Amino acid sequence: MITPQLTAFEAQSQQTFQALMWALSYPGRAQRIAEVGVAAFAAVGATLIDLETSYYTNHAGLVQLLAHSGARALGPQHAHYQFYPDLPSTALDDLALAPVGTYLDPDSSATLVLSCHLGAGERLRLSGPGIPAPFMVNLGGLPPGFWELRTNVCQFPLGWDIFFIAHDQLIGLPRTTKVEVL
Amino acid sequence: MSLQQLAHPRHDYSYAFLDEFAKRELRRRILKAIAIPGYQVPYASRELPMARGWGTGGLQVTLAAVGPTDTVKVIDQGADDSVNAANLRRFIARMAGVQTTTDVLAATIIQSRHRIPEERLREGQLLVLQVPVPEPLTHVEPSVTRARQMHADADYALIWLELHEQLVRYRTFTGGADYPVVVHGRYLMAPSPIPRWDTPMLHQAAHLTLLSAGREKRLYAVPPYTDVRPIEFEDVHFQVENQAGRVCAQTGAINRFMNEVPQPDGSSRYILSDTGYAAKLVQRAQGEGVEIGATYYDDQGRFYHTGFLHHDD
Repeated sequence: MITPQLTAFEAQSQQTFQALMWALSYPGRAQRIAEVGVAAFAAVGATLIDLETSYYTNHAGLVQLLAHSGARALGPQHAHYQFYPDLPSTALDDLALAPVGTYLDPDSSATLVLSCHLGAGERLRLSGPGIPAPFMVNLGGLPPGFWELRTNVCQFPLGWDIFFIAHDQLIGLPRTTKVEVL
Repeated sequence: MSLQQLAHPRHDYSYAFLDEFAKRELRRRILKAIAIPGYQVPYASRELPMARGWGTGGLQVTLAAVGPTDTVKVIDQGADDSVNAANLRRFIARMAGVQTTTDVLAATIIQSRHRIPEERLREGQLLVLQVPVPEPLTHVEPSVTRARQMHADADYALIWLELHEQLVRYRTFTGGADYPVVVHGRYLMAPSPIPRWDTPMLHQAAHLTLLSAGREKRLYAVPPYTDVRPIEFEDVHFQVENQAGRVCAQTGAINRFMNEVPQPDGSSRYILSDTGYAAKLVQRAQGEGVEIGATYYDDQGRFYHTGFLHHDD
């Protein structure tokens, strides 16, 4: 029997998933993804969403790419997968609406995919599962008040799971990670 | 645009058997499981060409994660060569075109039924545990709906009462394999029927553990470097199986998890449960150069996280 081969789409999904899985397992440690910029957001979308899920994005170009998945386009208060390649300060109002799950179904919370600048901006100390010793990282390009909002929202087991994308780098931040702004 | 461009070349099977819809669903669930350590995430659990209850939960997780560059090890109660492990390994290799190994150091994905290898797993390794009964409250609360509510409320009074009753009746904890643990200080979790010997290996581990029950359609995770504490009282502690005095008849190893082999005269011999580790010890004894990793327990039976296990005498 001939071993089944990965199609180009399947190969991209598998590699992107590996990056997502290890990014979430070791929060703060950057994983490389093959795509850059908005294409990276589209690759994460193609890996995770299909007609069983819902999405929201504030980026017109990305809507075209994500619509192919068959996922339902919903508002930021309902969508389970939310993509923000642009993060103006007004995006904070949308983010504040994102679902955090319920105590019965904490997995019904939003997964946020946000753009950021890595190595510039606020200095953060991360701790929690997946982090053996407090981990320092500089993350910029986020709307003012973002970390305060996240701290209020992430009351374990509720909260958002976040993937930050900077160029071709991916950083995971599950709800369990404690973030201190230094 | 032509049909040729839209359709991919015809294959008898999708890569890694599952279609992309199934894999995407599993991948979404796996990410949520990692984000909520110990919480049981429901998933669809697709049909596979083997019966539910034969490792289909673990198999689906492995198939969702695996890529052509991975190296896979499959064990069944420590053994690489049991029928179940051999079948699963052959299926994964055929469907994903991966290398297989019995050496835990060479593996990137280790799928296991009811054992964790003796050698320490490292960062970037994925341990997939097959789970028959994912709900740790089953014995005290048969209703799944009520058990879910108890997890939501973090109401684990019944399991503590059960533990207390064991002490009152038997003066010891009677839990064997599948000893309940509390993950990240929040969720009570069934670690799958690994012996108590293996339970501490999940605590602050370098590797990622995914646990999946195909029949019960639940998967959950222990992320790396996460607190995993067996339930115990302040003054009566969780104990691992006592391996003192047991010497492996094959390799001479001590203070590892042993299989008991009954002898015709009524006595017992012991051999290492972890056959991949045993094979490397045999190779080294024959003078072959073989790399053996640091183990979770040293030859004196001390666990590598000092202070995690208490010894009541």
